[in-house]
Amino acid sequence: MDSDLKQSTRGATLETWLVPLVILIFCGFTYWLTTEFTRMPPILKRGIQPSDFPQLLIALMLGLTALIVWKDPIRVSERIHNPTLMAFGLIGVFVLLVQLDFFFALTVSCLGLTLLWKKRNWYTFLIVGFLVPIGVFFLFDQVFEVRFPRGFLTNLWYG
Amino acid sequence: MDSFITGLLALADPSLVVLLIAATLGGVIIGALPGLNATTGAALLLPFTITMEPVAAIAVLTAIYCSATFAGAITAILINTPGTSASATTCLDGFPLAQKGEAGRALGLAVVASTIGGVCSVIVLMLAAPLLARAAYSFAPPEYFALTLFGLSMLATIGGGSPVKNILAGCLGILVSTVGIDLMTGVERFTFDMSVLTDGIGFVPVMIGVFGISEMLVQISNSQESLERIKLKAIKLPSKADYIKVWKTILRSTGIGTFIGILPAEGATVASMIGYNEAKRWSKTPEEFGKGAIEGIAGSEAANNSATGGAMVPTLALGIPGSPTAAVILAGLMVHGLRPGPTMFTEQSDFAFSIFWSMMFVNLLFLGVGLYGAKIFARVTLVPVQILWPCVFIFSIVGAYALDQSMMDVWVALGSGVLGYFMRRYGFSVVPLAIGLILGEILEQRFGQSMVMLKEQWWLLPTRPLTLFFLVLTFLALFGKPIWNRIKQLRT
Repeated sequence: MDSDLKQSTRGATLETWLVPLVILIFCGFTYWLTTEFTRMPPILKRGIQPSDFPQLLIALMLGLTALIVWKDPIRVSERIHNPTLMAFGLIGVFVLLVQLDFFFALTVSCLGLTLLWKKRNWYTFLIVGFLVPIGVFFLFDQVFEVRFPRGFLTNLWYG
Repeated sequence: MDSFITGLLALADPSLVVLLIAATLGGVIIGALPGLNATTGAALLLPFTITMEPVAAIAVLTAIYCSATFAGAITAILINTPGTSASATTCLDGFPLAQKGEAGRALGLAVVASTIGGVCSVIVLMLAAPLLARAAYSFAPPEYFALTLFGLSMLATIGGGSPVKNILAGCLGILVSTVGIDLMTGVERFTFDMSVLTDGIGFVPVMIGVFGISEMLVQISNSQESLERIKLKAIKLPSKADYIKVWKTILRSTGIGTFIGILPAEGATVASMIGYNEAKRWSKTPEEFGKGAIEGIAGSEAANNSATGGAMVPTLALGIPGSPTAAVILAGLMVHGLRPGPTMFTEQSDFAFSIFWSMMFVNLLFLGVGLYGAKIFARVTLVPVQILWPCVFIFSIVGAYALDQSMMDVWVALGSGVLGYFMRRYGFSVVPLAIGLILGEILEQRFGQSMVMLKEQWWLLPTRPLTLFFLVLTFLALFGKPIWNRIKQLRT
């Protein structure tokens, strides 16, 4: 119990600093990108250079991040729960499976998401794994005339 | 006056009426489902409205806004779980009253208070929006820039979170809006030579991500506690004694809700909290609050529903969203090529009044739906979460894809969902991100135009009286509370 608490406190301290650090790196990278923007000659610049506004925002974001560290540090009460981590994993699986088939990726991800809740029934699998994806596919294909990207399963319908 | 009548005649179209009834029922279901709210519902349904006529599309979104805001009370009263955050204060007295065996009375009161609040706020909307638009018609770019800045500064107080974090999230949204071709100069920014990014990042996939997918990720981590469900026998209309007791509260909360709604970025949640607190403060029996006081239910429900009409005033008249859901509706207007603002009431006033009348119709419709259908809609809460959230996921992904049939939008929605989850985890609200994304382009354009007008002498901005007025308001919105607290500290 104590070790859990220590681990959680250590994790929270890490996240307290990690978030401002990530924002800092993001701002630094974005600022560097803005220096690469084409600069307009004075006659064409119409008020401000294309990089001026984003640079102003980045400076403001850096100031606000400093203010967060100083006045309002990030506090996290609990670690990320396993089901949420698994949901991130499922999003990754979806990204990979989309390369094979969009419809197949949706079906597998939905079935996976159903498993993340404690209560599991056969009818839930039937509804979420088959009826909902098939229903959504035909709703979009027939009613909204939206064609899914082609893949090994959708090709069966599109020919 | 012509537009007033033409707008009303839009409701003579049976297909629009059917669509509004369906949207109202859909909105009630969305509002009654714990975890889903008006903003998420509108964001998820936004891609489906793309193929509709603009009037129908925006009427559907506003119908969902009004009805979902009301329906949060159903679950608040019956299972002590607010369907929407705006109904959180309804739980405080609604559930205790239901536990006493008076669930029908509590729901009846909520329905009537919601309807009165909603109808009154639409009347205010009809009167105030054109007047506000007329006042804003003479605004030049510096005034618009300062006004948009004021709208964004109000994000600091949104959701009750940390003002600094909210502003940072808003800045991120504005920064994201700069992706693509700069309209002033034609220079590509943050596109990484990818043609799909030249038009910028669409706000619809971002909204689907931050409101739909991130909510799903949050809900997954929530444990599933068993809920105490109150049986509902029949809905009762409030008695004469009830009306006598609450009519002042309803009127007061309607005024509070409409005013809070008109303030940029403030929405139904803040309105319901203030409405409830004021109901308690003015009550002759404040000790009954929290134990089933009918004034508590009326105060909360009249305020949150009147905020819906109020929120549409700055949205349509100035193009500044009055609430998170109004931001989604604003996105819907932009997707249909409509530019909200003063010109809407000169060039598209028929359209504007069609929306007003649609909102009026919906507010009256859910009186019937609430009184006769609440018993059925209460059953929506029985939908297992393990079915609901995978469905939200599939509709989020397919909705994002359907918009332009582009996989880029799917990646944007997924990325925004993950970002939204971490933002919430670390205490950042996702609403400023969405509003910043919508207002970012306008803000930069107005800033650029102002610089051209003022010959790049930005320090001349406060020399214009109206610009100065909005800049002072912005300053007060950002620093008013800390300064006031400091003054109070010094006094004591």
